[in-house]
Amino acid sequence: MSAGISRGPTDSVPAYYPGCSLDGLGKAYEVTAQQVLHRLGLSLDRIVDYNCCGATEVKNLSQDVSVALPARNLALARSMGRHQVVAACNGCVYSLARANDAVREPATRGRINATLEEGGAPTYDGEASVQHVLEFIHARAGPERVRAAVRRPLTGLTVAPYYGCLYTRPKRYTGAGTTPGADDPEHPHFLDELLEACGAKVLTDFSAKTICCGGGHALSDLDVAVAFSASILNEARRAGADLVATICPLGQINIENHLDRIRAAYGEEVLRPVVYFTQLMSLAFGASVAEARFRDNFSRPDLFLRSRGFA
Amino acid sequence: MPIVEKSLVTVDRSERLEIEGIDVSGDWNTFLRSRVQTDLDVRIVDWIRSQPQGDTISRCWQCGTCTAGCCLHTDYGLSEFNPRYFIYLAQVGYEEELRKYATTIWRCVSCNKCVERCPKGVKVEEVIHTIGSYLEFTGGAPESPADRFDRAYTENLLRRGVLDEASLFRTYERMEGRTMPAGEMLKMGFQLFRSGRLRTGPLAHRTRGWRRFGNVLREKLKEDERCRRASLSAAGGTGGHSP
Repeated sequence: MSAGISRGPTDSVPAYYPGCSLDGLGKAYEVTAQQVLHRLGLSLDRIVDYNCCGATEVKNLSQDVSVALPARNLALARSMGRHQVVAACNGCVYSLARANDAVREPATRGRINATLEEGGAPTYDGEASVQHVLEFIHARAGPERVRAAVRRPLTGLTVAPYYGCLYTRPKRYTGAGTTPGADDPEHPHFLDELLEACGAKVLTDFSAKTICCGGGHALSDLDVAVAFSASILNEARRAGADLVATICPLGQINIENHLDRIRAAYGEEVLRPVVYFTQLMSLAFGASVAEARFRDNFSRPDLFLRSRGFA
Repeated sequence: MPIVEKSLVTVDRSERLEIEGIDVSGDWNTFLRSRVQTDLDVRIVDWIRSQPQGDTISRCWQCGTCTAGCCLHTDYGLSEFNPRYFIYLAQVGYEEELRKYATTIWRCVSCNKCVERCPKGVKVEEVIHTIGSYLEFTGGAPESPADRFDRAYTENLLRRGVLDEASLFRTYERMEGRTMPAGEMLKMGFQLFRSGRLRTGPLAHRTRGWRRFGNVLREKLKEDERCRRASLSAAGGTGGHSP
């Protein structure tokens, strides 16, 4: 097995790859992530003309297209002089890291660079490392600085930390478990630590932490997508969680998109509000329920939080 | 049908360490007396291995770790979804049996637990999708919803560089013959509009300078599919075969 993935030099301000979701349905994630980074004194430099990373779909049609899409973004980050790219979506982290793995082979890199050049993009030297925004916050600020930034502890809230599948998987691409600064692939804990630092009660043994939400087939295999989303909520209920915290826009949207179907199949009592972890952190840092955009979520955490006395 | 004798597990490491004629390079295969089967149809596995997504198939030694952790097999309980078995069938060239799973294979949700856990470094998820492509290209495999979604998704992103989520939703639901009740559509549309997220159609995000790059990728996509199909017919195609 490889001895981890070299993360290379670190940037004081890494490049930020938003990905389609954060500029689309996951806007609450984007806005609150910026609030959190700002309060922690961290900043990221947005890749302006980024393109979709291709997620897990394009690779089933063409290897070269599935590598060229993320490679263009990594090349843009390199042309900004950055060695580090931070992304907030598990799918993006996966496909950007997968492209890095592919271009390590010289023949592939040559082919991909020819495509990039033909399309008018800068070429890619393979030297940009990829990190999830959760790992970035954990590495640069850590629980201590988060604790110091808390204005309103999330006391009384029991949170189920949901990491989803592609945050660390597979380690071959993400370097999880073997690379300094990367989370554990089987038992990730960075989110637990950050939310605990915010004063929430975190269910560190939440058994659905890294299960798949079925988001890859959110529309194309409803039975699977609904069953997996429901099992995340059901586990959260069984463990006594008030809320489920996500770190992936696809997981968030997939669960929330199926709420009606889950209610119909498993009953109202299974449902729990689902929120981005940055929304909770922002709330703990003093943002109001409106400022942390809780009303954006279809599972209406705004109503729940107001009922618990959060304004 | 050519009669072939081959070891199912091959070593793809280049470094070797020999001391006094004994291989001590520590490769796990060193400790195995490899099982050799005869009368295999190697055309399927050869094609899978020739694809960059499938090149790790021959590392598989059939331990079943992938299937044991597979969320479709174990959590969802779809027992016929068995990645270890799909790889086995491809390795021995039992096409007739493999074809029974032509649609099932596409139900993989790409959670990558199998790739994460494989002790031999097989990119299981990508390998079995390549097996799915093989079955699709060699005919007889009905198009599956997941495959349709991959194509709708790719077409959508190639248009502007950035995915138009709402348009993908509409297009795909139409492809599957589903319609969202008008009331529900309005409700969702309003919620997205109110929160500034109704960026679809003419309002959708786009990547500056995308036209040129998008066209290059579109060509690449077509060429890739052409090459993959051509490499199959160059190999003489395959016929149904039982070992």
